[in-house]
Amino acid sequence: MNKTLLQLAGLFSSLSLSAFGGGKVVLPSMHQASVGEYHWMTSQEFVDLFSISMAAPGPSMMVVTLVGLKACLPYGPAIAILGALVATLAMFVPSSILVYFAGNWWDHWKESPWRHSVMNAILPISTGLILAATWIIAKTSIHSVPTAIMGIVALALMLFTKINPVLMMGMAGLISWVFLR
Amino acid sequence: MPGKARHPDPEEVAGFSPSTSLRVKVSLLEIAGLFCFIGLTSFGGGITAYIRRMVVTQKRWLTDDEFMPGLGLVQLLPGANVVGLSVYIGNHLKGPIGSVVALGSLLVPPFVSTCALGFLYFHAGHTADAHAVLAGVTAAACGLMASMVFEAGGEAIKGAFDVVLILITFALVRFAHLHVPYVILIVAPLAIWWHRPRPPKLKAPDTGDSTVS
Repeated sequence: MNKTLLQLAGLFSSLSLSAFGGGKVVLPSMHQASVGEYHWMTSQEFVDLFSISMAAPGPSMMVVTLVGLKACLPYGPAIAILGALVATLAMFVPSSILVYFAGNWWDHWKESPWRHSVMNAILPISTGLILAATWIIAKTSIHSVPTAIMGIVALALMLFTKINPVLMMGMAGLISWVFLR
Repeated sequence: MPGKARHPDPEEVAGFSPSTSLRVKVSLLEIAGLFCFIGLTSFGGGITAYIRRMVVTQKRWLTDDEFMPGLGLVQLLPGANVVGLSVYIGNHLKGPIGSVVALGSLLVPPFVSTCALGFLYFHAGHTADAHAVLAGVTAAACGLMASMVFEAGGEAIKGAFDVVLILITFALVRFAHLHVPYVILIVAPLAIWWHRPRPPKLKAPDTGDSTVS
């Protein structure tokens, strides 16, 4: 139990400080650690939990809460909630502390030309990481013709309409329940 | 990189932030209320524009001169923009305690609802009905992620080398199975070097161009 909590704290605090471009860029590492290295869950469970976190309210990376919950579930519900808390704090606190202290010297270099260099450098890296994350989600979630069609329709809806993503995911769940049950 | 940074205008260095807003009196309860609301209604996309509308346009807690540097800061640093902005805005309004209240209010309600959904999944996730629903939800989540690749790529790709950087990053994760922090340590120096500040054509145009003073 202590070992799992320490693993959660170590994993998510290092990912917290690597999440350039938002939490979703560290999804590949989260998947690799919780499925491949620590065996907290199967790939299917990871993708299920990720999708649930996307459909639930909150900042996009609440999947860390669910990973913590699942990792500590074998020790009982109370420890599972403790695991969720440790994972959530580890993911959100280090980057927040960085923002807090960086604000102090920000005035000194916010006009620096290097700021745009760093921004322009971060963008392609985060794009590549989101692409890798999408690849991982697709490998597990797109396993039949109907799921492929739903994935493509969801992509088209997000790109070409202003539909609320939560509404879109709810509708996908309902349609899938009606036709795939 | 900050070490090498060219210094901004002298007036920027001499005086602190030039914005001249009245420091509005905002209570911790009001901060908590706003960030609870943002936490429960934020689902990714467009959230920074939404926060700006709330705190700058509607409530007038910050001016744009105060908000925009904060946005620039959190976009540059790791972590979700909405999380960083809660810390920045909380600190701006009430100091460290404001940051803690804003971050806590942002995270606590989603934490509770997410845990509840998690337990529901662990109890009922293996039923046939749940499988059918989740097949649709995961496929839609995949489409949503794919749309973010297009959005991020649209901003990122300014030239052919950006495509190369995207593919190198992807390959290091997908084929070399490197963890994200190492991938960033490998690719970031290359990417920053490529996008390094270049002098705005002082020496190059010897012919044709109008003189640059």
